[in-house]
Amino acid sequence: MIRSAAFVAILAASGLYAQNASIIVPRTADGKPDFSGTYEWPKASSGERCKCSATVFDRNLMAPLKPGGEPFFEKPNGDPRHDEPRNFCMPAGFPSGMLSANAVQFVQSKNDLVIVHEFQRMTRVIPLDGRPHRKGLEPMYLGDPVGHWEGDTLVIETNNFKRWGLDDYYYSDRNQYRMHSDALTVTEHISWKDAKTLAYRLTIDDPKIFTRAWSEDFTMAAKPEWDATGLYEYVCEENNRCPGGKCPAP
Amino acid sequence: MKIRPLPLLLAIASLSALPLLAHHSFAAEYDDSKPVQVSGVVTRVEWQNPHIWFYVDSKDESGKVTHWAFSGGAPGQLMRRGIYKDVIQPGMMVHVDGYRAKDGSNNANGAKVTFPDGRMVFTASAEDKIPEGKK
Repeated sequence: MIRSAAFVAILAASGLYAQNASIIVPRTADGKPDFSGTYEWPKASSGERCKCSATVFDRNLMAPLKPGGEPFFEKPNGDPRHDEPRNFCMPAGFPSGMLSANAVQFVQSKNDLVIVHEFQRMTRVIPLDGRPHRKGLEPMYLGDPVGHWEGDTLVIETNNFKRWGLDDYYYSDRNQYRMHSDALTVTEHISWKDAKTLAYRLTIDDPKIFTRAWSEDFTMAAKPEWDATGLYEYVCEENNRCPGGKCPAP
Repeated sequence: MKIRPLPLLLAIASLSALPLLAHHSFAAEYDDSKPVQVSGVVTRVEWQNPHIWFYVDSKDESGKVTHWAFSGGAPGQLMRRGIYKDVIQPGMMVHVDGYRAKDGSNNANGAKVTFPDGRMVFTASAEDKIPEGKK
């Protein structure tokens, strides 16, 4: 990451988000907004709250389910590998993992943005060099992201997902897993909202589930003090004593 | 006993202010209808992911020793709350409030640890049920 020596004021609103002309944001050597740093996980100012620490999507913002989209609300089946796969150190996936309540570090260069989430050390490497999505991949927990700039907004489109949990809502209602399909495309819009906050929009387009794409806006607060500590290690397999709720005797 | 007063205060003050993600579902592993209260000496601490574990030997009036294992948050999560490894160490006397594992074993969610001088530290993840009251 190369950060320009001087901070440059945004002189005109551009991209998806109208930005305050007085905002001063860090920029890379090639003039793009520089998001490098450590942040809190995305949070919404209003909407549905989870009986957990993670952010969850607001049901009121979701598009209606289409006929055949009912598997979105999958129920538990008593198999812990199905009902709580993370209990076996399976990944939270994206976007669910992005919404978990941990530190998130962005490392940006001209050709890549690397997003590392402290929870499960979820790492996404997002090409910014204009390449298309890869072809012929197996469905993935984190999908296949590519990014491009629209003015001062970074737009990341991710597809090629494995069917998996959309968010952590099942902590609130064990009968609603909110499973996205393998047709999911997630689009992120990232820009500076102010000098200490990122605007972070997630657009969910899942044509097997919803009648149309829908979006929710979040913010991510910059945490310079977390830059100082750095991310902590998270190796789930290190001492996962009770997979599936079965613990050895003390 | 080696205790960092500031981290303890931060831990108490920040329990709700800095919620954290659990690796597991409390409901999947622990029974909130089976609270446990255990007093004893810490024999071992595993400051490891995905959750810390600390082990406590409790002795009853007849001298019989029962071994308990208590689960807490992830090390990184706890450190962001100001709780470091030296807060709880082998040899310390503790009183632990938590909830027993669903399998009925002597494993439990160790939600709240109280030291002999009355100070408390919350070692649970935010999703975990926290016992009411001081003891």
